[in-house]
Amino acid sequence: MPERRVLPLLLLLEIALFALLADSFLSLQNGLEIGRATAELGLLALGMTLVMTAGGIDLSVGAVMGLTAVLLGDLHAHGVPLLLACAAALVFGALVGLCNGVLIALAQVPPLVVTLATMALARGVAEAWTGGYAVYSGFAPSFLQFGQGYWFGFLPPQLLVLAAAAAAGWLLLHRAPFGRRLVAIGFSVEGARYAGVPVRRCLLGVYAISGAAAALAGILYVSHLGQAKADAGTGYELLAVTIVALGGTPISGGRGTVPGTLLSLLTIAVLQNGLLLSGQPTELASILLGVLLVGAVLLEGRAKPRLAGARVLVPAAVLGGLAFLAWSRDGGAGSGQPLVALMPKNKSDPYFVSCRAGAEAAAGELGVELLWDGPNDTDAARQNEIVEGWITRGVDVIAVSVENAPAISTVLRKARERGIPVLTWDADAEPDARDFFINQATPEGIGHALADEAGRVLGGAGSFAIVTASLTAANQNAWIEHIRARLAERWSDLRIAVIRPSDGLRDRALTETRNILRAYPEVRLIMTIAAAAVPGSAEAVKQEGSEVKVIGLSVPSLCRSYVHAGIIDSIILWNTVDLGYLTVQAAVALHDGRLRAGSTALAAGRLGSIEVRGADVLLGAPFRFDASNIDQFDF
Amino acid sequence: MERWRREAALGVVLALLAGAVAIAAPEFYDAANLRNWLVDTLPLLVASVGMTFLMLAGQIDISVGAQFAVCGVLMGLLARAGLPPVLFIPVTLAAGGAIGALNGLLVARLRVPAIIATLAGMAVLRGTLRWLSGGAWVADLPPSFPWFGLSQDAGQAVFMAAAALLFLLALLFLRWTSWGRAVLATGGDAEAARLAGIRPEGVVFGVFVAMGAFVAAAALLSFPRYPAVEIEAGIGFELKVIACVIVGGVSIQGGRGSLVGTLLGVALLSVIGTMLVFLRVDAAWERAIQGGIILAAVTLDSLLWARRSGARA
Amino acid sequence: MDAPLHGREARTLLCLRGISKSFGAVAALRDVSLDLRPGEVHALVGENGAGKSTLIKVITGAHAPDAGTLEIQGRRVESHSPRRARELGVAVIYQQPALFGELTVAENLLIGSDGPLLDWRARRRRAAELLARVEAGVDPGALVRELAPAQQQLVEIARALRSEAPILILDEPTAVLARTESERLLQILLRLRERGAGILYISHRLEEVERIADRVSVLRDGRLVWSAPMAELTRPALVAHMVGRELAEPQARGAGAAGPVLLEVAGLTSREAGLHDISLQVRAGEIVGLGGLVGAGRTELARCLVGLAPFQGGEVRVGGGVIKPRSPKDALACGIACVPEDRRRHGVLPALDVSENLTLPRLEAHTRRGLLDREGELAFARRWIERLRIKVPSPQTEVAALSGGNQQKVALARWLACEPRVLVLDEPTQGIDVGGRQEIHGLILEAAAKGCAVLLISSDLPELLELSDRIVVLRRGRVAGALPRAGASQEAVMSLALGLEGAA
Repeated sequence: MPERRVLPLLLLLEIALFALLADSFLSLQNGLEIGRATAELGLLALGMTLVMTAGGIDLSVGAVMGLTAVLLGDLHAHGVPLLLACAAALVFGALVGLCNGVLIALAQVPPLVVTLATMALARGVAEAWTGGYAVYSGFAPSFLQFGQGYWFGFLPPQLLVLAAAAAAGWLLLHRAPFGRRLVAIGFSVEGARYAGVPVRRCLLGVYAISGAAAALAGILYVSHLGQAKADAGTGYELLAVTIVALGGTPISGGRGTVPGTLLSLLTIAVLQNGLLLSGQPTELASILLGVLLVGAVLLEGRAKPRLAGARVLVPAAVLGGLAFLAWSRDGGAGSGQPLVALMPKNKSDPYFVSCRAGAEAAAGELGVELLWDGPNDTDAARQNEIVEGWITRGVDVIAVSVENAPAISTVLRKARERGIPVLTWDADAEPDARDFFINQATPEGIGHALADEAGRVLGGAGSFAIVTASLTAANQNAWIEHIRARLAERWSDLRIAVIRPSDGLRDRALTETRNILRAYPEVRLIMTIAAAAVPGSAEAVKQEGSEVKVIGLSVPSLCRSYVHAGIIDSIILWNTVDLGYLTVQAAVALHDGRLRAGSTALAAGRLGSIEVRGADVLLGAPFRFDASNIDQFDF
Repeated sequence: MERWRREAALGVVLALLAGAVAIAAPEFYDAANLRNWLVDTLPLLVASVGMTFLMLAGQIDISVGAQFAVCGVLMGLLARAGLPPVLFIPVTLAAGGAIGALNGLLVARLRVPAIIATLAGMAVLRGTLRWLSGGAWVADLPPSFPWFGLSQDAGQAVFMAAAALLFLLALLFLRWTSWGRAVLATGGDAEAARLAGIRPEGVVFGVFVAMGAFVAAAALLSFPRYPAVEIEAGIGFELKVIACVIVGGVSIQGGRGSLVGTLLGVALLSVIGTMLVFLRVDAAWERAIQGGIILAAVTLDSLLWARRSGARA
Repeated sequence: MDAPLHGREARTLLCLRGISKSFGAVAALRDVSLDLRPGEVHALVGENGAGKSTLIKVITGAHAPDAGTLEIQGRRVESHSPRRARELGVAVIYQQPALFGELTVAENLLIGSDGPLLDWRARRRRAAELLARVEAGVDPGALVRELAPAQQQLVEIARALRSEAPILILDEPTAVLARTESERLLQILLRLRERGAGILYISHRLEEVERIADRVSVLRDGRLVWSAPMAELTRPALVAHMVGRELAEPQARGAGAAGPVLLEVAGLTSREAGLHDISLQVRAGEIVGLGGLVGAGRTELARCLVGLAPFQGGEVRVGGGVIKPRSPKDALACGIACVPEDRRRHGVLPALDVSENLTLPRLEAHTRRGLLDREGELAFARRWIERLRIKVPSPQTEVAALSGGNQQKVALARWLACEPRVLVLDEPTQGIDVGGRQEIHGLILEAAAKGCAVLLISSDLPELLELSDRIVVLRRGRVAGALPRAGASQEAVMSLALGLEGAA
């Protein structure tokens, strides 16, 4: 068995370390939650273990997961019974896998090349199918229970699925003729063929299994998040490869190991969970994962005798450093200050980066500890995972900027059941899943403000183009919906010429805007509605020397020079620093009992008294930044 | 001419597309539009040249996007610290080379498979960048940063000249130097190369260093188009680069392929998005169309190849 | 450094003293000392696994010795590498051509030989000269992967001659060459010897050794057991030194019992494999030899029979029933099994253990309720290890750790265990030492005696003549003729293979 001997040791060390660092780490409940969070990835990794054993790789699994999720949602929306829809999704996933297999086994295209292409194709078809924006929800509670609830009061059901899949994978790879054949193929395709191994059939089979595993992961994902969307599983393929490789299955094929993959999955999950519970930033997990991956391959690949000692030393050193780091950062944790956990949708988005500044200021003023963590891209599943971690850790208040309301509401309700007050800020969850919503502006308000700005700049008539984040971005799609409504209601002479995606990246926004300017000469205005994309659009207009104006939604610091240059007419936003500040103020007030049901006002430090209407804490209407006032804001 | 089949096929597809656009959207051929499109494509081209060398030598690099962002941030920080372009350009190139050297060390010397080493590199680089920056852009850059302090027109011209020069040098290097042939030989059969007196470890190390330097060059041709440096830049860049090189006909197993193919691959994959906009295709279909083209390029070719080589045997 | 330098002649090209090399626990070379002088052909013989290839790799710098000294042209070599060896005037021709399939012939000939900048015109000219020297009718602009194996070997030889190195080492250069090409090579070597080059020649073909060697050294189990001028040597003595014992005379083979026709190939034509209208029959208990030059279509025919190459015309019947196998798996179900030519790549899976290799074609037979029966598998493997006297510590030993002969036995056992009605053997003893060869011959005869129809492909004419009941000779993808056992001789087979009869 080639699984890495270093992994069990590492896992034990990790568990011991995190048990020391985080009180709540060593509980059955937490262990089971770790399982829930890894079920989908685990399924992909199991399929990938078989594929990599046969010397292949399947980069399409994440995209297949997204595509099957969409298929499931669409079938369900058309009234197909759920069980049937799930079966269809599984068959469909296997078929997509089979297509990979056909190209690899029959057309002899290298697997990396084939699956790279089918990855693009599957994700593309999912986007084309839904137009990017369609989100299927409204699944039966029993189905959602499967992904979000418990069996026998404690067991996340998907853990059973993972366990069953692991058992099947183990039997298949290590005990069945199929697995032996995969090993033979992995070592030498030609040698296996000469030995009478039905190479083509085996390859077709293994990629079909990988596709079916991805489809099953897609189904679990839908039941876990309560919604089906084209972007499910983005980026999971590389994570799955990482897990399998760390588990000891060689990337070049040969002897794969299901136990190794499971161990590796657990090691990574425990690492992430432990870091989360001990209040470390999620980036650390990524860095450590990279170090572990290379370390494991280095130490076990061609271990020379003199490296044997290092086998223990390296993981020990990694964990030692981690422990030191944790202690040094966690020094003040025991001081009894309330711990406020604040989650942005996307930590790397400049919008949220500016919110953080305000949140930290408020935390400093009030003497509370602030825990700021979230996904590094818009990832609803990751949000759930982090909230689960916070519940286990027992933070004092949770405040979430919600990526996806149906997806996160279950876990937020659970937090409330455990007595943790919950706020939402920036974007709301379902009303019964939180105590208050820090309402800076509703999607409707933003949509209307943007549409009205467009009307004002264009003088009531003309065409404009929208540059959005990604086609699947939930918020942007909500805004666009309200912009359309507002146009129909008030600006009947305004027309949206085209909507283009920028993936929230400046570089892509530049190219897209440039293309719009050229290909749609009728467009007189660019409306860019992702913070990082606005400077990209503005730069394009500047480089093209165009007269077209840019408006949109962004933070002042990124746009200041373009506003002064007269390229950006205005950007709509509230004061994001204030938003962060108010959220922490409200969180602490909620914790102290100063803010409770029926409150009509909240004393919020430097912001003075803030109106509370129902369950909404109102920051005020969106703000318009233009050349006249933008220099007054330094965020 | 059979050896240039992929290049010829790509040329035909490009010509067909160009023809379709000429009929449907002649405004695409506006000189300024072409120039701007070209300038936007330069980073992809330069990184793809590096990847071509890497893949010809039988290696691959998944960390290209993360390297790209790191080089960009470094460049921004250096410029903000007051270094003029003549200083921050070489330093950035050297830093890129150093990151590449690290990958090269892992792969060539310590024998970690390239996918594993660079997958880990991606996680570490991206994670570190996010952790240290907290997502904040590198802003307040001096005027010497955008277009290296040149005017936009001059800057664009310099960028295009620099990329053309790099491409030409790469072409000459591959064809006319024994080092270039050593790259091909190593990718074709490392053991045979060793017996022929080539040091495959040295070649592999070298192409990783070159990859790093080319990524740094790509960053140098990308970030100075803006007045600030974005932290999340280059997400997905690696897969785009790999797709271009593969569509260009470079074999993933190494040893076969050409820079001309890569050039055409880059041209096809980057122009197709733009052309689809001009043809007013719904954005939602774009990724599917691109995926279909990549799939068609790699499978049709191999199907044809299998049939003909079968006929020959 | 246990052996002191002594008695060294000034004109010794190559001087090895006390070379030892171990891989893990296995000692590949033990205290080997060897000289090579100008103007001599020094043959190095020994069974497979005796350490010949390791010794070459030490000389060429591919392996660093654990102990001992190496002097090349009077200069002691400390830090060695293939590049350094070349600079010191050592040229090597390896058993497997170390060529680059995706590069042209010209490039392959010249790679690693020029300065940093390349002059393509001069390169092409030089390549053409080199090719002319070995009389290879090869286009310098062709891609090497498009060449036949023998042509590739000629390119490899031309490349080694490129530098006119004073020291030339050849590791079984004629293994894939047909007789005429081998002959041409030997002529070239004799010319080089006249010009004063020192040639270290490794071969299993003892008749070649007898023809050109001035001195012979024998390696056995990593030790140099014997070294003497060729004149003092007889073939039986040489063989005795190699195996360390006297060999029994080759078994006389009686006429095969003529059973019913098991394999019948009728008018088989394959565009892909370049075969035209091939017809032949093999009866139960019969061994039919398939002769011909390399590239005449023998291996291609074997590939067609087991479904690895398609055929358009004609049919294949096994036991009367028409079959059209699409894979070796299919073929086995129809009763045909094939032991392929390239042992390490096709014959066995070196990374799997012996038991796994043995059961691979028929895993279904080793399953219980859909799962592998590991105990049964190991017992099965032990039976076959015993039966074929495979030298291996345990059925769970990786095949890679076995010697060539034992690997070949594993490849053979794998298919014998399937009890095929038709057994196709492609060069079953290529590169195998004398002892192992005889054991394998015994196994082939035993299989035939049990009623198996055997189609034997071999470039080794004595082997072909010794074992076959009939010999069918192919030339350029067609049947050139068939010889009954009584009328077969080396000359007859060769003249058919070369097409001399028609010309004469």
